[in-house]
Amino acid sequence: MKFGGLGIRTFIRIASGLIILGAVVELVSLRWVHPLAFVLFAFVAVSLIGLGILIYLASLVLAVSTAGENGRNAKAGN
Amino acid sequence: MGSTGILVTLIVVTIALTTVLLMRPSITAGTTGKILAFVALCVLPALCIEAGMSTHMQRSEQTQFCISCHSMTTHGQSLYVDDPTYLAAQHFQNHRVSPDMACYACHTDYTIYGPFKDKLQGVKRIYIQYLSTPPAVIHINGGYSNLQCLHCHAGARNFEENPVHRPMMDSLTSNQVSCISSGCHDTVHNASGLAHLKMWRPGQ
Repeated sequence: MKFGGLGIRTFIRIASGLIILGAVVELVSLRWVHPLAFVLFAFVAVSLIGLGILIYLASLVLAVSTAGENGRNAKAGN
Repeated sequence: MGSTGILVTLIVVTIALTTVLLMRPSITAGTTGKILAFVALCVLPALCIEAGMSTHMQRSEQTQFCISCHSMTTHGQSLYVDDPTYLAAQHFQNHRVSPDMACYACHTDYTIYGPFKDKLQGVKRIYIQYLSTPPAVIHINGGYSNLQCLHCHAGARNFEENPVHRPMMDSLTSNQVSCISSGCHDTVHNASGLAHLKMWRPGQ
């Protein structure tokens, strides 16, 4: 379950951090009706949350591929 | 609870669940933890983005949103001019358009991608407002299309049976004669000349 020295737990921590940050920015942007609030949401909050989701999804793919690799290595060892 | 309340609740739940994963990522080793991670790190954040976008899109159609920009302040004031020849004021004060969406009602182009094009234009204007120099007099790119007037007025009896409108209906619908710059309804906002005008105060 490792990729480039980073385990899936590290990926989940990074993804969680980004999503929390993005969600807080979204909460702040909802506090007032102003064009800058729209910009804050559309460019900052969406980017942070979207990046968090992508990192989480990437961690799933990487975890599966490394798990498969581990399985193949184990079979080759037998 | 309104839609904003539901969205805030959704965001708070997302933050709470995501904080659990941030503090204890080891819980994702089990099946329940994996499901929790999928919900908290994929499903709920995607819903937050979707619902947030919808809320902000609705808010950006509000009059309050448009006139909160410094360069739009006088345009907002022009809605209260106590003079029936002022087109925007007449529409706003007589509820010919919803007062909460007065700017959007007359300035969106009512096409399928109209709201998105409006937002892109809006972002460009925010850039000009905060990072560049706003022009002294604001003009609409490409001029004002009659189609925006006709979206509501086309088919209305008092519009189509009007003896002035009737002979020029084809020119109006093909945008060859402008409603607002052909000498007919030419006083729209007149935002630079409001200083000495009498203003309407609702409820007085």
